[in-house]
Amino acid sequence: MPITYQAVKSLSAQLYDWSLRAVPADTLDGLARALATETHDGARKVLQMMLGSARKAEAEQRYVCSDAGVPVYHVTIGTAARLEGDIKAAISDGFDELVATISPPLLKHVTNPLTNERGYKGRDMPLVTWDVAGGADWVEILCQPKALGSGRWAALETFSFPSLAEIEAYVMKVVMQAGSQHCPPVIIGVGIGGSFDVAARIASKATMRAIGTTNPEPVLAAMEERLLRAVNATGFGPMGTGGDTTALAVHVDYASGHGYTPVAVCFNCWINRRTRARLHADGSVERFE
Amino acid sequence: MSDAFRTLRMPMSREDARSLRAGDMVLLEGEIVITAGLPTIQRLVACAEEGRDPPIALAGGSLFHLGSYSQEMPAGGLEILYMNPTTSTRFNPLMPRLIRHFGLTAVGGKGGLDTACAAAMREVGCVYLSFLGGGAPLHSAAIRAVREVAYPDLVAHYRLVRLAVEGLGPVTVGIDAHGNSLFETLQAQARDRMEGILATLAASRQDAKGG
Ligand code: SF4
Repeated sequence: MPITYQAVKSLSAQLYDWSLRAVPADTLDGLARALATETHDGARKVLQMMLGSARKAEAEQRYVCSDAGVPVYHVTIGTAARLEGDIKAAISDGFDELVATISPPLLKHVTNPLTNERGYKGRDMPLVTWDVAGGADWVEILCQPKALGSGRWAALETFSFPSLAEIEAYVMKVVMQAGSQHCPPVIIGVGIGGSFDVAARIASKATMRAIGTTNPEPVLAAMEERLLRAVNATGFGPMGTGGDTTALAVHVDYASGHGYTPVAVCFNCWINRRTRARLHADGSVERFE
Repeated sequence: MSDAFRTLRMPMSREDARSLRAGDMVLLEGEIVITAGLPTIQRLVACAEEGRDPPIALAGGSLFHLGSYSQEMPAGGLEILYMNPTTSTRFNPLMPRLIRHFGLTAVGGKGGLDTACAAAMREVGCVYLSFLGGGAPLHSAAIRAVREVAYPDLVAHYRLVRLAVEGLGPVTVGIDAHGNSLFETLQAQARDRMEGILATLAASRQDAKGG
């Protein structure tokens, strides 16, 4: 069976809708672990409220946050998947359909960067990335609506032949710039190397990895662990009002490059909105997050 | 759970504002005015500059950086479907003017305000309250009534809205009326700690190499 325009369109709409009304399981676990070790009273209360807000959202199918973000989709197409119809249009049509039908309505967040006018539509919106998976017969869509509060603090700097010390100091510099403002505890993605755009892409992708998973590369796993401890030693805490929990995870990845080394750092706020599902050749939908 | 927190009547009295200390957590009850829009704050500054009354009275009141989705109900009147804070720092340059001109007793949102704002707040007797971001289900459940919506020409979250709330929070006093700001203290503390943090990172890099 081919994977159709209609299937991609409805899944695009559904993934967005799901992402707004729950906090992913890995993130709830991360928050619960943080609550168990947090020593600051106020911070414990804020973490409890976060868990309460997430539970209430899921139970009553409410939005966790009123900033529903802008639509961001990452699509992976299996090279053995049979496609039918305009898959690219299906994604934006799916978002349009969602805007027209979702209840309660979404706020207008799509912003023209030249005029700051806001609406539901805009150039290149939804923001979509495309990838291929060798041999697979499915299409996978990951939806990660990006909010202003956490999107605002991402940064990238290009170094030449930096040491690990310089790279890690830069991550800490970006953490300091964000300070209390990105709805911590955050998930931090760090992308090192490649080129300007590749480093940014790696950082963004790193935020999508499940919290609690260990980086398969020992060098990166060690770096993630010490950076997480470093970020939490700053003391900004949940909602930036003080505490031991400023980040739930730091995820690092890299690509080889040419000695000029871009380092990209980006954040996802504590609600860590993301949903992911696969459309299979037999017509079934497999939901992961 | 909520019983442990002091409940403050809104709009907050100057006395209550001055009684709070940075780090306190409180619940809010009564009337608040909210907006998440920069154009809205700019219009309010224009009111102050030109000596005009704002469409919703602000004198001695509270103004929070909270965005909401308001809509007209079929039977008439208005309802708020959801509400949540937005980052306050982008209003930094405009807030001192509003705090002084309207003699606000409480402002708030998330992420804090800067030193100039804290100075205006100290002068006037005003606190900054930090709301939970991603707290829409909790905040929305505290809304009892929508009293007024102004600037309907703006997108929903930019409108100026007066609401009656009950059990809103707990919110954290981020900046008190005595010049203490958690946001500034925490930035300074993190800056002070940074040398040690970087040294610890260096030591664990060494360990990783050795091991
Ligand atoms: S940054 Fe904060 S306010 Fe913005 S979407 Fe995330 S939780 Fe909500």
